[in-house]
Amino acid sequence: MVLDGVNAKVETGERVAILGPSGSGKSTLLNLICGIDVPDAGSVRVAGTELTTLTERDRTLFRRHEVGFVFQFFNLLPTLSVLENLLLPVELKGEVGAQEEARARALLTEVGLADRADAFPDRLSGGEQQRVAVARALVHEPALVLADEPTGNLDEETGARVVDLLDGLVRSDGRTLVVVTHSRDLAARMDRVLRMNHGRLEEWGG
Amino acid sequence: MKLLRRASLRYHARHPAQLALSVLGVALGVAVVVAIDLAIQSSREAFKISAETVAGRATHTVVGGVGGLDDGLIRRLRLEVGVRAAAPVVEGVASSPTLPGMALRILGVDPFSEGPFRPFVVGGAAGLDVSSFITTSGGVVLSAPTAEEAGTALGDTLPLLVDGRMWRLPVVGLLEPSERLDRVGLRDLLLMDVSSAQEVLGRQGRLSRIDLRIPEDLQGGVLEESVRAALPAGARLEPAGTRTAALGGMIAAFDLNLTALSLLALVFGMFLIYNAMTFSVVQRRELLGSLRALGVTRREVVQGILAEAFAIGIMGAFGGVLLGVVLGRGLVRMVTRTINDLYFVVSVEGLSVPVDVLAKGAVLGLGATMLASLAPALEAASAPPRVAQIRSAVEDSARRAVPRAALAGGVLCSVGALLLAVPARSVGLSFAGLLPVMLGMALLTPLGTVGLVGLARPVLARGAGILGTMASRGVVTAMSRTAPAVAALVVAVSVTVGLGVMIQSFRSTLSRWLGGTLQADVYVSLPSVQASRAEGTLDPAVLASLTGHPEVDGWSTYRGVELDLPEGRFRLVALALDPRGEASFDFQSGGGSDAFLSFREEGAVLVSEPFAYRRGLEVGDSVTLPVARGGGRFPVAGIFYDYGSDQGVVMMSRRTFDHAFDDEGVTSLGLFLKAGSDPEAVVRELTARAPPGQTLVVRTNAALREGSLEVFDRTFQVTAVLRFLAFVVAFVGVLSALMALQLERARELGVLRANGLTPGQVWKLVTTQTGLMGVVAGILAAPMGLVLAAVMIYVVNKRSFGWTLRMEVGPSVILEALILATVGATLAGLYPAWRMSRTSPAQALRGE
Repeated sequence: MVLDGVNAKVETGERVAILGPSGSGKSTLLNLICGIDVPDAGSVRVAGTELTTLTERDRTLFRRHEVGFVFQFFNLLPTLSVLENLLLPVELKGEVGAQEEARARALLTEVGLADRADAFPDRLSGGEQQRVAVARALVHEPALVLADEPTGNLDEETGARVVDLLDGLVRSDGRTLVVVTHSRDLAARMDRVLRMNHGRLEEWGG
Repeated sequence: MKLLRRASLRYHARHPAQLALSVLGVALGVAVVVAIDLAIQSSREAFKISAETVAGRATHTVVGGVGGLDDGLIRRLRLEVGVRAAAPVVEGVASSPTLPGMALRILGVDPFSEGPFRPFVVGGAAGLDVSSFITTSGGVVLSAPTAEEAGTALGDTLPLLVDGRMWRLPVVGLLEPSERLDRVGLRDLLLMDVSSAQEVLGRQGRLSRIDLRIPEDLQGGVLEESVRAALPAGARLEPAGTRTAALGGMIAAFDLNLTALSLLALVFGMFLIYNAMTFSVVQRRELLGSLRALGVTRREVVQGILAEAFAIGIMGAFGGVLLGVVLGRGLVRMVTRTINDLYFVVSVEGLSVPVDVLAKGAVLGLGATMLASLAPALEAASAPPRVAQIRSAVEDSARRAVPRAALAGGVLCSVGALLLAVPARSVGLSFAGLLPVMLGMALLTPLGTVGLVGLARPVLARGAGILGTMASRGVVTAMSRTAPAVAALVVAVSVTVGLGVMIQSFRSTLSRWLGGTLQADVYVSLPSVQASRAEGTLDPAVLASLTGHPEVDGWSTYRGVELDLPEGRFRLVALALDPRGEASFDFQSGGGSDAFLSFREEGAVLVSEPFAYRRGLEVGDSVTLPVARGGGRFPVAGIFYDYGSDQGVVMMSRRTFDHAFDDEGVTSLGLFLKAGSDPEAVVRELTARAPPGQTLVVRTNAALREGSLEVFDRTFQVTAVLRFLAFVVAFVGVLSALMALQLERARELGVLRANGLTPGQVWKLVTTQTGLMGVVAGILAAPMGLVLAAVMIYVVNKRSFGWTLRMEVGPSVILEALILATVGATLAGLYPAWRMSRTSPAQALRGE
């Protein structure tokens, strides 16, 4: 059992960090929150939807509409350009049009990569790739943004810049953010910090 | 999902070699299937058209037994029975030195009776001059294009070789074919007057058949009965087309075997696609995981992969169809020659390319591609939407699948074995059983690979140090990619070995059988257009002259005729055996001195194994033949092994034959020489005894044996070509798999290079690994090849042709499998090894 008796509530618009050592169950918790995994027992409710009662397909569609992801290893599609990577979640929602493309370009401008719209990911540095990933996580206006070690693969300065961006964009749109991290600096910027330890979750006054 | 499609398109555009090999795999598979199908269809179509041309508009045909019909019968049918539309026909086969390689069909007709039957004979486009046709002795009419091919014009003479006798016949008319069908049907036809044809073919007073037109009404029914009642013993009335259908049916098993072999190439193509798609899925597994996390559903993933397969399938099918037409042009000659050698005369002008054959090939290729991609597509859909996907987890699951695959393989092999054990005669069922056996064996290979690599590891570690260990470990740790490659190689090599053993066993069985059957020292016959179905008879004076040679100590005579019965064609042979010739029979059942006594004295017959197999006969049963006299039922005294004809042979003593039929001819002669004679010298002297204008084929025992094996080798040429093509497809598959596997390791090799591995060591690592995979595949393929050979020999061959073959396996088979697999795999590993050793570590580390 990876998680045991985990109980937590995150309010809409709240920004929460989850700290914890490797193997403590942080990523599993993220998987449960977005419906990738379902718990053996208990309940996961996001924006009024009880995920444990949904089918696998419905959980996927829920993710498509309500969740934005920022991965540790960026996970951009190498065969799509920067702009196309941004448009992918929008297209998955079935909303691609001039307005959406304009929004994607605006987001790219906000993350400082307007001039790299047509570049492919392998031409970008790690920091640039993660900035694209941040923009991708927000472009389809999800209710919930999940970030798994978003700075884990970046140097301190680049990491800080990515966090500024993520934090700023989430805050300005009033979205809910759950970020799993080892970085106490990053955690300190959140509204609330939770700590995972041996599969249990506790408030951390830090 | 425009963007997803674009992403997948760009993925393939970035892996052009992999894409090209996948398309090539499908294309080659489709090409082989289309080529064989076209070759078979072309021969069948040519046969059908020429048969229809000759049959004309007859509704019924009267056919005789041995020696055909007396030509007085037609007068009786007209005058006594009242048949108005009746046309006599004399048929035979000839060749002309001006038309090399073409078997010509002589059609002797009465132009005054032809009106209702074959309009091209009277009043055709060329307006045949009937008077010169019947007044010019030996006058022939042929189609204008054929005459042009022969360099002959109206008024010239056409040299014609019939049963070893050369005729120079005046060309009295040329037929101008109006349509393609006419052109094909008339291509190999020589029209002659009935009496001229009888003379040239040595069948004075005899007809091959009488064509009739009987209305389909009540009166027609009455007329039909009257005709039947008027027929002499041995003759029968049958609906037109019966014989054509029976002849067409003769090659059904031959066709099926070729088709099955061609499908094998497609199965290898499927392996290739499976490999390529699996690889592309494994390579993109992390990406697919990310997409799933972003909200792409399983169904969308499956659809995406299947769409890629569809595109590959379309490209491959299109290329395959084009390639198939090119390949078909080469194969149609081989297929036609085999049909001519073994079954009946057919002349194919060129490859006919029916659209349905092309469409069938394309659909088959596309279907095979989609089917082969289904498992990788489902595998892709199972990619868990993980935030971070660990590669080792993929390999863990692949390793865990090894015992499951082996279990499934075992089950499939058992299912196949059960299907093969069903005591049915269906050839289709045999292939239906063979397929699960092959798939089952493929599924067993991962387990075998793990075991053998485990054994090889310490050896490689001692021989090549850490590189050896890495090479062997890499095969097992990258199971998701190495297993399909090894399996494809194993199946390809085992099929090659299996077919090789089958052909070799067949050849040595045939050779041993010839050694036993050909007891005489010298054989004499007339030259024949068809390898195994000579029908011309030796002149009695020539016969006397040959047997009177001072070195001749005794002889056996043979009279062989092809009999077409409603249940199929077979060869009836009348034997006057020298006592020494009795030893030539090898009996499957019956035989012995009692059997020979009843054969010689009591009218019993000996039948060949395929004849008995096709009709379910056993010793003690009887055979009914259309005799001219007597009851026509002959007890079977023995069933002997015979590999000369898959349609079957019935042998009766000359005495029994003479009692039953009006035919005194002798087709060939086996001469026993006095002790100490020189067969070569006797052959020379006997050849010289041929009368002027007559060619005799006089051969020593050894030369005849050699000639028979030559025909065998020619027959199996198509099989050899297919075997080679199937291996090429499989090789492309292995090349693609190994290339993908090694190229995917670029990063790992980059790390090694960064840590000080020299380009030479990279070469060594990559080639050691691919070589190891080859050796493993070779070791696994040898026993599997033997299993396949056994199935083909004891089940497929038996059910297709009724032959019992003795399986012969030399030590070279194992060696051949090992060499083939190792060389194949090592060759396939050369390009990736070269590329990897040239890649700079920095570039490799940067990855994509």
